[in-house]
Order: sequence, then C-alpha cells, then structure tokens
Amino acid sequence: MTTKNPKDEKPRTTLIKFDGVTKIYKGDFSALENINLEIQTGEFVSIVGKSGAGKSTLFKIIYAEETPTSGNILFEGESLDAFAKSKIFLHRRKIGTVFQDFKLLPNKTAFENVAYALEAAGVAKEEILENVPQALDVVGLGNKMEKFPHQLSAGEQQRVSFARALIQKPIVIVADEPTGNLDPISSWDIIRLMLKINEMGTTIILSSHDKYVVDKINKRVVILEDGKIIGDCPIGKYKLENTK
Amino acid sequence: MFTTISRTINEALKNFLRNGWLSLATSMILMLSLYTLSILFIIVMVSNVVIKNVQEKSNISIYFNQSVDEETILAIQQEIEKNPLVNSVRYIDKNSALDIFKKNNANEEAILKSIEEVGDNPLLASLVIKASDPTQYQAIYEFVNGADFSQEINRINYTKNKEIINKLNFLIGKIREIGLIASSILAVSSILITFNSIRITIYSRRKEMQIMRLVGASNLFIRLPYIFEGVLYGLSASILSTILLLITVRFISPYISESILSQSFMSFFLGKLWLIILFQLVAGCILGIASSMIAIRRYLKT
Repeated sequence: MTTKNPKDEKPRTTLIKFDGVTKIYKGDFSALENINLEIQTGEFVSIVGKSGAGKSTLFKIIYAEETPTSGNILFEGESLDAFAKSKIFLHRRKIGTVFQDFKLLPNKTAFENVAYALEAAGVAKEEILENVPQALDVVGLGNKMEKFPHQLSAGEQQRVSFARALIQKPIVIVADEPTGNLDPISSWDIIRLMLKINEMGTTIILSSHDKYVVDKINKRVVILEDGKIIGDCPIGKYKLENTK
Repeated sequence: MFTTISRTINEALKNFLRNGWLSLATSMILMLSLYTLSILFIIVMVSNVVIKNVQEKSNISIYFNQSVDEETILAIQQEIEKNPLVNSVRYIDKNSALDIFKKNNANEEAILKSIEEVGDNPLLASLVIKASDPTQYQAIYEFVNGADFSQEINRINYTKNKEIINKLNFLIGKIREIGLIASSILAVSSILITFNSIRITIYSRRKEMQIMRLVGASNLFIRLPYIFEGVLYGLSASILSTILLLITVRFISPYISESILSQSFMSFFLGKLWLIILFQLVAGCILGIASSMIAIRRYLKT
C-alpha cells in the first residue's frame, strides 16, 4: 500500500479506504452506492457535490456516526466493524471534526470547548492549561478564550471548532462544509488555516459545494453525485469538465 | 479516577449554575414532589404517635367487692396475666385508689371534705388491664366476665371506654387504608412529573451529548456529570422543600391540639426534622439520579 510521493520525502500510506461502501437509509433511500475511495496520509481532499449528493453520509461513516449497509471501511488498515460500540470513542479521538454549524457547546467558553476534548481523553490539567491557549493562538483567538460561543462571530466560532479539532493532534481532520455559514473573508481565513494544518502533516478531508473555496485550494477533488463518485482528479477544480 | 470524579463534579456544578433558570424550575418541581412525599411521611409518623398515645390511655378496669381480700386479687391478677391477649395487669389497692381520687379532685374541696367525713375509704380495689392489641378488648371483657372469679367483681369499667376503643380501632384501620391509597397515588404521580421534567431538561441538551460524542468522549464521561446534576437537583429540592415544610408546620401548628401528640406539632416536627431531611435527601437523590439515567440512555446509543 505504500507509495512514494514525488513531491516530498515522506512515504505515504493509505489512511482511509472505502471498499464498495453502500449506505441505504430507512425507506430505501440510497445515500451512497458502491463507493471505492482511498485517501493517503497527508493528503488534502475536497469532496464536492450538490446538497444531498452523499457528502455528509460519507463523512459520518468515517467518524462512525453511521455504519455502511454493505461494504467495508478501513481506517489505518483496520476495519471499523472491529470496534465495539462502547469503544468507538477511541476511534473518534483520532479524528478531528469540524461542521458547518460549528457544534460548539453553548454553555462553555472557547477555552472550555477546546479543553473538553482533552478532559474527555483524561489529559492532565497542567497539560490542558498549556496546550489549549496554544491551540487558540494558532487559530488567532488567544485573546477571546473566555468568550462564550454566542459572544463570538460565525468565523470566530468556526476557528474555535478548528482549535478543538487540532488539540487532540488528530491523524485526519474531517471538515463538513466548514465555510457554509461564513462570509467570503472569514471563509478565506478558514481555508488558509486548513492549508496550514495540512502543511504540518495532518490529512484533511473537506466537503464543500462552494466553487470559490475548492478552486482556491487547488488540490485533489472528488466529485459525488447521487451517491456515486463521478470524478476524482489529483489537482482539480470544482468543474465537471476539468475532472472528466 | 480522581481526575474523572473532580471533572464530573466541576462539570455538573457549572452546568447547574449556567442553566440557572432551568435548574431552578426543575428543582422546584422536584421540590413539590418531595413536599408531598414528606407530608405523607409526617402524617404516617403523627398517626403512629396518636395511635400509640390513645392505646396507652385505653384499658379495662375491674373493681372488686369490698369483701375481697388482697391475696385473692393478686391470685386473680396472676390468672389474667396468663391470658395471651393481655399485655399488662396493674393492681391498684384501696389506698392508692383514694390517693388518685384525691389528686384528681384536688380543687374540689366539697368532695374532699365529704370523703373525710365518711371516714372509712369508700373506694374499691381494682385491676387495670391493658391489651396487647387494642382490637381485643371485647374478647378480654368476655373472658373476665365468664371467669370463675366473676362473682368477686363489683363492676367492670369497659362500657365507659368501649366507645373510645371502638372509635380508635376504626380510626387505625381507616388511617392505614386511606394513607396507603393516597400516598401511593400522590407518590406515583409526583414521581412521574419529576421524571418527565428532568427528561425534558436533558432532552433540551441532547445536541450537547452528540457533540461530546463527536469529540471522542466516552459514554461514561458524558453520562456522569448529568447523573451528578440529578444529585444537585435532589439536594436543592430538599433544601427548598424543608423551608416550605417549616413554614407550613409553623402555620398549622397552633390549630393542632397538643393533647394528641403530648407536645406541640412544631416541637414534634423539629424533633423529627433530621429524619425528615434525611428522607427527603434520599428520595430526592434517587428520583434525580433515576430520571437522569433513564433520560440520557436514550441519547447515547452509539
């Protein structure tokens, strides 16, 4: 599975492998059909497609919120079926998640929201006090640590959720429409942040239906339509004709 | 382990305080439940004391003819004591009877004078019988009446007490019956209301639980603070309910006759206060914890 990337010295290994994954929801609604997809460590992959194309379902299967109806998903070479339900949180600790609606805990400050992920993982207090301000500094919110989500702008809230995703030092960050609720300037901030995180070695899987965002990133693009992959281009744009 | 516990308590306290109004509303509903349960608890305690007091006051007295000597009476006392229905038999000789009579009529000079004028002690020796079970006085009466020594008896003072004793029996039965039905209905409905309101409180925060799962918190780590919040609801509800009970008792205490409890209702209540607080804490925490646990179970499936 190990392939050599011409651009950098690090060998790349397969991080996530979808092996004929199909997901059918109740009422025979088929969200994903026979998906075969491999994502390497350190990649930046944009999954694009219209609303309802199956992007979110694909993501939910990665962080084990949903299980495939048929087919298999391998994470670091291990099938997710092997995880007992009560141990699935151990898998989730390897993945940072970012959402369109931020999913911050409303009754916690920015600091506490980021710290929560570490507290849940049983990290010592001293380490939390040291790492959380650093993570918030990275996203540029070092001066707003004590603010509650409702006191922050949408762009700032999204940066808090990136800080929370980063703090666990995840192997991969899964970002489901992270710029969906943001103005163009905040969107651009988030894109730069993602590129920076990716440069530091973290794999990023982004979903978007925003042409502007995907074109700016200028990395691998996978196109989903009606639950099927209809295009996969190593350096792509959000345009069907460019990828076919 | 210690880290998890301290994080649980910290988390629960923060949630409780930051959701101030919701916490207060939930505690108030739990308080109403505890208040109702406590009042039932107090009624049961009061009725037990009243029953005990009245039982202690009721008895059958057998008065013997003047001619019967003390030896015979003591023999009869022994015979009656053998009866399993009888709890105790007390002998009151003529002189003690006179002392008691004088004491009871200490303010009636005319009566005391007339007694002195008679010179001889006109009162009769008696045996005072207490039953082990207050419903059995009729049977004891019949036993004494039909015994060999019945011709030595001048009179049996049962008819005088008969009415009180029968009323008492009726009352004991009714208190137990009504108390049981009323307390079960009230307890069940208040528990259901509390359960439901805590469930709604947690339902309103089901999204939080989903987020916690996504950032890799184990189910136990998510669940513990909510369970501890249930304890906090129980604690604050017990405090509120105790205050409400104190106000209630203070208000109704003057209307309850001291004779039935042999003390004022307020001092009776204060004497049992620790027991009542303990009862509320236990009931409150059980209700709070159970409702939280059942409610979160639904939102933590994966």
